[in-house]
Amino acid sequence: MSGEVNIVLVEDNPSDAELIMRVFRKHKVANNIVVLKDGVEALDFLFGKGAQGSPPPSPSLIVLDLKLPKVNGLEVLRRIKSDARTRDIPIVVLTSSREERDVKDAYAAGVNSYVTKPIKFADFAKVVADLEMYWLLLNTPPVRQYPPGGVGIREE
Amino acid sequence: MSEGRKHPDSAAPAGLSEHLKVLEDTHRATLNMLEDFDQERAKLRQVQVATMNILDDAESERRRYRQIQTATLNLLEDFHEEQNRGAQAQAALMNILEDIESERAGAEQAKTQLEAANRELEAFSYSVSHDLRAPLRALSGFSEALLEDYLPALDAEGRKYLQFIAHNANKMGQLVDDLLTFSRLGRQEMLKRPIDMEDAARRVFSDLVAQLPELKIAFALRPAPPASGDSSMIQQVLTNLFSNAIKFTRRRQDPAIEFGHLPETGGGAYYVRDNGAGFDMQYVDKLFGVFQRLHEESEFEGTGVGLALVHRIITRHGGRVWAEAKVNEGATFYFTLPGGEMS
Repeated sequence: MSGEVNIVLVEDNPSDAELIMRVFRKHKVANNIVVLKDGVEALDFLFGKGAQGSPPPSPSLIVLDLKLPKVNGLEVLRRIKSDARTRDIPIVVLTSSREERDVKDAYAAGVNSYVTKPIKFADFAKVVADLEMYWLLLNTPPVRQYPPGGVGIREE
Repeated sequence: MSEGRKHPDSAAPAGLSEHLKVLEDTHRATLNMLEDFDQERAKLRQVQVATMNILDDAESERRRYRQIQTATLNLLEDFHEEQNRGAQAQAALMNILEDIESERAGAEQAKTQLEAANRELEAFSYSVSHDLRAPLRALSGFSEALLEDYLPALDAEGRKYLQFIAHNANKMGQLVDDLLTFSRLGRQEMLKRPIDMEDAARRVFSDLVAQLPELKIAFALRPAPPASGDSSMIQQVLTNLFSNAIKFTRRRQDPAIEFGHLPETGGGAYYVRDNGAGFDMQYVDKLFGVFQRLHEESEFEGTGVGLALVHRIITRHGGRVWAEAKVNEGATFYFTLPGGEMS
């Protein structure tokens, strides 16, 4: 994977993905957005099945839906947060679910933020824009473990 | 030997006086014997009397004995009866215990079924909440996107159509939310605590108007005693009633809303009064039905679940809710919260 990845969006619903991307495009804050549509793609992307010698991606933000096919969002969240290489990456769960058990589980796994997708599109667009502003502009990102330009990856 | 007169014939033979002596002796002996006999007879009579007395005593003893025997027999009979009654009572008790046990088993089963049904409902709601919301968002999202990004390509009619789509999608989303809240309320556990009703009313109202800074509504908060109830549910009641009041007074020049408590009404009732559009009292029965609306969508938006929610919550608290209104003059909604007012 070449280039800085700003945002990784893991969203299986194509309409939602499209609407979110539209907001990102409009605000032009993020330059490089990667859209993945299920848990397996997300894990593959983050834990590197990339080319040999290239560092694993270190996005500034992961926007993660919970209901994903193959490997669900909670599992992806847990894997990311329990691996030292990726634990620092800010993760925002963006999901339709307002269910208490999902909120509990996500925070127990170490999510940085839990946001429910509003039904009304106007609200939804505003939420996505706010998220982007906050996490990419206001929030100080974690210190990069692997600076761009490459460092040998130590296999654990 | 008698001396004295001698019989002329004193030539009485010597043998005669011996016979006389013998006769006298015999006479004397007989007299003695008769005396002894008399004494014996007296003694015998005494013995007879004593024996009679003894027999009498024996008779009394025997009578007493018979009485004791009868009494003992009665006691034994009574005791036997008691024993029977005891056995009957015990049998009855065993039956009752059996009935209680089968009742309890029935209740256990009912509880298990209820819990299973609840879990199913929970899963259903979860699915609804996720799966219905996504397409609704797409509907409203893409219609908005079209309106924003392709405005020049659309004529007024086209724009109107898209607005209808977006509006309906949003409305359906609201319906889904309301239905879920309504269903969840029926299953949720209530936590009854003392509630400061004045404080709750003040906060709910100020939160609602904070979102609508352009409205200038006169809010009158009258004294209201604390109540006992589930804090978040009662907050929902106040939110729904106040937001209705705010909605229906929007057209007035001088909107006014009042909250208070009337001790004599319905045993002590809280009320929310507004001077807004009111409603026709002939439809008052429909007021608290789910999705029942007494106004046109074009006049006042809403899904008609707000009051059904209020009704459900108040009913779960054991209270009553009712309303009075006059068209174009306003409405008053009353509700009671038994058990805890005026502590």
